[in-house]
Amino acid sequence: MKSVKVLGPGCTKCKNLEKNVRDAVAKLTGNYKVEKIEDFQEMAKYGLLSSPGLVIDEKLISAGKVQSVEELVELLK
Amino acid sequence: MNDFKINEICPTTTFNKLKEGILLVDVREKDEVGKLSFDVPNIINIPMSELETRYNEIPKNKDIVMVCTVGERSLLATGFLIKNGYDVNKVTNMKLGLVRWVERGFSTKGDTLNIEVKKSSCCG
Repeated sequence: MKSVKVLGPGCTKCKNLEKNVRDAVAKLTGNYKVEKIEDFQEMAKYGLLSSPGLVIDEKLISAGKVQSVEELVELLK
Repeated sequence: MNDFKINEICPTTTFNKLKEGILLVDVREKDEVGKLSFDVPNIINIPMSELETRYNEIPKNKDIVMVCTVGERSLLATGFLIKNGYDVNKVTNMKLGLVRWVERGFSTKGDTLNIEVKKSSCCG
């Protein structure tokens, strides 16, 4: 199972990234576990300096960026 | 893995540790610091927007306390430093930030009436 985490306290960009991630996962086959992390202590452990953060299998992929559904499908394949 | 805990202390503990020679690192942006700043002997300002390129200016052999307005940006900055090789036992976040520092009556430079509560670095 692939783990996908969206790190963000709940702003518009964070919500948009979470929605895009869930839409991307819906287009893919395979098992994905999508989580939204809003706790700053947890977020900080990934080393991001701006939100939202995208973490795939415990690796910080991006910070401060909202990828499109299409971009996320490619990242999550 | 991220199986570590980022240490946090309150403004009162931070104030009490100043005499031990700790270095405060204020990660607020320059315009915020220009309006109101911590009045302490050992402090440097490295804004969040510059931290990725300037974090090497922060000494690794000193006890560091990261500070900002409410303690959220500085918490992210603390995590960033630890992920980039700083000792989890030497880098600490000051929770509740400048707002609580002012509430506790600790020394500042600038106008506390205009303290701007800028929460986190969320969305730029």
